[in-house]
Amino acid sequence: MTAHFVDLLDELRRRSLRMASLVEDILHEACDSVFSSDDGLARRVVARDNDVDREEVAVETEVIRLLALYQPVGSDLRLLCTALKVNNDLERIADCAVNIAERARHLQIESLPQQAELVRQMGPIVRRMLRAAVQSYGTQDVAGANKVFADEEIVDALYGQLVRSVVAEASRLMQEMASSLDVLSVAKNLERIADHTTNIAEDVIFLCTGEIVRHRPR
Amino acid sequence: MVTAMDTQTPSSTTPRGGVAVPALTPRSVAPTDGAAGDVVIRAEQLTIRYGTFPAVRDVSLEIPAAQVTAIIGPSGCGKSTLLRAINRMNDFVPKASVQGRLFYRGANVYGPECDPVDLRRRIGMVFQKPNPFPKSVYHNVAWGARINGYRGDIEELVEQSLRRAALWDEVKDKLHESAYALSGGQQQRLCIARAIALHPDVLLMDEPCSALDPIATARIEDLIDQLKSQYTVALVTHNMQQAARVSDRTAFMYMGELVEVGPTSLIFTTPRNKRTQDYITGRFG
Repeated sequence: MTAHFVDLLDELRRRSLRMASLVEDILHEACDSVFSSDDGLARRVVARDNDVDREEVAVETEVIRLLALYQPVGSDLRLLCTALKVNNDLERIADCAVNIAERARHLQIESLPQQAELVRQMGPIVRRMLRAAVQSYGTQDVAGANKVFADEEIVDALYGQLVRSVVAEASRLMQEMASSLDVLSVAKNLERIADHTTNIAEDVIFLCTGEIVRHRPR
Repeated sequence: MVTAMDTQTPSSTTPRGGVAVPALTPRSVAPTDGAAGDVVIRAEQLTIRYGTFPAVRDVSLEIPAAQVTAIIGPSGCGKSTLLRAINRMNDFVPKASVQGRLFYRGANVYGPECDPVDLRRRIGMVFQKPNPFPKSVYHNVAWGARINGYRGDIEELVEQSLRRAALWDEVKDKLHESAYALSGGQQQRLCIARAIALHPDVLLMDEPCSALDPIATARIEDLIDQLKSQYTVALVTHNMQQAARVSDRTAFMYMGELVEVGPTSLIFTTPRNKRTQDYITGRFG
């Protein structure tokens, strides 16, 4: 039974990582859709979000089943708690990616060159954060998880810069109000994804050490 | 060989919770007042051998007052031997010998000044299988007090003990029926009532639920939770979920050694030692 439980945990971990990989793909496509005129790309992001939603429910159901049937302790308990929390953050990241893709369908990013440049910088950093968080989750690597936090500050700074630039150019951007709101929304969602990604990194630290590092100054 | 040590002078004969303690003989080991967190039992480099085989090896452990301390570990790890050493039940085992030091409220349990009979009155024990006497429910509880010369109201003592053991409501109308007519869970609670009737300071429980069904087990676990407000409890259990549910501190033993001890909430979530981690997650044992 113990060997069976270890197998089930391993399968759950693989399933959670497959879901993470799917969310990474969706985020990649969502970022591309902002600068692409291909409407199909944005629609694909929306469609793939349904797969993420199904996986989220499946992973959560399995975590609850394993908790109920096996009452795990120690590292097994931490893994299940972490899987449940990471599952939630991944689903929210996919939702943010959908928001970005939906905005991208209407956004005329070329009319906002300064803001476009900032979004162009944010996207790869947020994707890099998610990659690092997922990788550290897969390999249970505290050092890898810690790398995520520094990038969050860069994303926050870029987002702040973008908001300030929209405010500074408000009178000029009156003609581009819809696009301005869209680009703000895209940037806001990227910033939210960065937050969810740091949540994952914090959960990885809990998984590895049992230490809860949320709400601590870094 | 047992190492001698000075015995502390008791400052009081009334432990916490206001439980009256029977008169003590001059040679007795007497408790002092104890607040939660005070150390009641302390083992220092304790080694217990059966012949030449060391069942417990160089164990140093503190058992604090008014808490439940669970001792877990695979079969043969020495946890029951350690528990039984606390009130010198191993004295009855041929070829058992003790090395190192064991203190009960500062007094050397294996010192020449310790009266083991009196010690066992202070440190009661509940065993794996319920072992009521072949007597009525009433006499099971009253017997220990009677032979110890209890001069109070025996009927009141019986009722109080059965209430504390959460058994009174179930047996108040059959006090004079045979204890053997009770269910297994009731018999075990009767044994706890019997131990409580002597107003012990410490209760040692050696797998008290292993012969019980889940409902009777839940009753005993609830009872343990209530008892810890008045007694210090040391619990040996094979059931890790039970240790996690009922204890405040958990000690993990393996092959006679104490591997790790700490707050139960930490031992079952983030144990520091890999052997503890492997045991609690079922990777071995």
